Amino acid sequence: MSVVVIGLSHRSAPVELRERFAFAESNVPTALKQLREAGLITEGVVLSTCNRVEIYAATARAPDDQFFARIKKFFVEHHAYDGELGDELYTFAEPHSLQHLFKVAAGLDSMVIGETEIFGQLKKAYELAFTHKFTGARLNKAFQRAFHVAKHLRTETNIQRGSVSVMSAAVELAEKIFSSLAEHEVLVIGAGETSEKTARALQSRGVKKITVTNRSPERAVALAAELGGRAVPFAQWPEEFERIDIAISSTAATTHILDRATLMPLMKRRSHRPLLLVDIAVPRDIDPAVSELENVYLYNVDDLQAIANDSLRLRQEELAHCEKIIADKVATLLAANHFSAAAARG
Amino acid sequence: MAWFTDRNCFLLAVTFYGLSTVYSVFLWRKGFRRDEWVNYFLLAGGVALHTLAMTKRGLTLHSCPVNNLYEATTFLLWALGLASLVYALMPRFKFLTAFTAPVLFTVGIFALMPSLDPPHGPKPEFSGALRSLHAATILQAYGAFGLAAVAAGIFLMQQHDLKFHKIRAVLSLLPSIQRLELITTRLVFVGFTLLTIGLSAGAWLPRHEGVPYFSDTKVIWSALLWLVYLESLVAHQFFGRPARRFAAGVVGAFAFLLLTFWFTNLLSGLHHP
Repeated sequence: MSVVVIGLSHRSAPVELRERFAFAESNVPTALKQLREAGLITEGVVLSTCNRVEIYAATARAPDDQFFARIKKFFVEHHAYDGELGDELYTFAEPHSLQHLFKVAAGLDSMVIGETEIFGQLKKAYELAFTHKFTGARLNKAFQRAFHVAKHLRTETNIQRGSVSVMSAAVELAEKIFSSLAEHEVLVIGAGETSEKTARALQSRGVKKITVTNRSPERAVALAAELGGRAVPFAQWPEEFERIDIAISSTAATTHILDRATLMPLMKRRSHRPLLLVDIAVPRDIDPAVSELENVYLYNVDDLQAIANDSLRLRQEELAHCEKIIADKVATLLAANHFSAAAARG
Repeated sequence: MAWFTDRNCFLLAVTFYGLSTVYSVFLWRKGFRRDEWVNYFLLAGGVALHTLAMTKRGLTLHSCPVNNLYEATTFLLWALGLASLVYALMPRFKFLTAFTAPVLFTVGIFALMPSLDPPHGPKPEFSGALRSLHAATILQAYGAFGLAAVAAGIFLMQQHDLKFHKIRAVLSLLPSIQRLELITTRLVFVGFTLLTIGLSAGAWLPRHEGVPYFSDTKVIWSALLWLVYLESLVAHQFFGRPARRFAAGVVGAFAFLLLTFWFTNLLSGLHHP
């Protein structure tokens, strides 16, 4: 018995095709049952996310072209797809199938390399198959090892280090300046979408107090209500500087709304506590000269994007190292007695 | 086992500090990104041998080994190394050892100069409980100032990286600058308290006939050092001195301490009769 993979992902197929082949969670047990009854697979797990639709299966059959052609046929017929399919649908047999599983679990095959969401999605897909008794010794071993290797790569390599989006870069910077975000208040100047996302990202890392200000007070009140914070009139936001430690600015102003001369007395009133200014507006809201002030850390959208790009580049550099670890782990798994025994039992 | 002397144990300890220093250079070049224990254990090995060396010397003298420049220097380094190992157990402070190791290694090499460790009789001239308390607390204070300088050094590096948007600031596994500032302040406070106790104990010690006290180089130097740290703490805590200037002052004060410690000791009639 060997492990095989068949599927399509963001690498091989456009979103129109991926959504066409997606499995609803309630439909997964039926699909696996059909595959088993057709004698194609013994064990199976269906992973269906916005970026990939894949079937991981253990089969007693030889994973040759004829076998994969039958699985492909099932794939197409199950989704009543009548279009043409070329290289969009990929197939893997051992050891590449296991290497692919390990890479997916570690986020190496994701659109954003090293992202962790896929780990949870894969775990959920496995648990669904496990609950409905579609997994056995072979897939259980393979998936458990995949989860273990993913955790190992997360702690021992730089594959998940750094921030790969503007919002997460801002959050990470805040954590490098302040001991605990829970104790610090955030001021959102301008109720735009990006500032809202950044505020939400900060909330997810512990920020409790958020103040929102906007030229149109209704939007400020609405966003404050959504974020569980409070709204202040736009004319009054400089007064908030005594209390806040992080400011996210994204107004549509055409000139700087905060300059060095305005900030200098405010910093004195704050007793020179560190202040993180995140300026995501274009044109910029904050005069770059404020960064010359002691204890002021100013980042604009380009600075944050540069951090995100650097982090992404570092993750890409780490890919080869991770793939080597995965190749070694798969070789060890295939050589292990218990895995061979599981194969023989099948 | 003739080679198994306290000085040779200290030489081995310095070798470990040297290895830790070399490893620290690699950690520095890699941007302190990997969470690992290698440097911690290298430094711990050095501190263990260092403790052995001091214990052997203490057992030979039947008193706390703080009776000449070699012993005083090794005691200072030991306090710094041990405190560094304890603080390194705090979350994100493991890399503290990478900053402490170069100080332990360079000063350790200096302490091994034979002229700093002249042979003394079976009972050294600086013996006595109050003398031991005086010397030990002051040297522990220097250790705390040393560790504060190390934390302040990390603060300055992180602060610079954050201010000038260096990717290392985000990717490194170093603590937040606010936490580093807090640790530095606490260590300076601990050091200042120990220095105050140590200097007070020194004021009660019996003095040799005809040796001046208030004009003694070491007394003036110690009073100056006490005032420098007092001014740093008060200015930072009560008058809003920015953290960067406070940290730079702590590094500068410890550099001054290291560079003038032996020199003022040699000039002091009280400490070098």
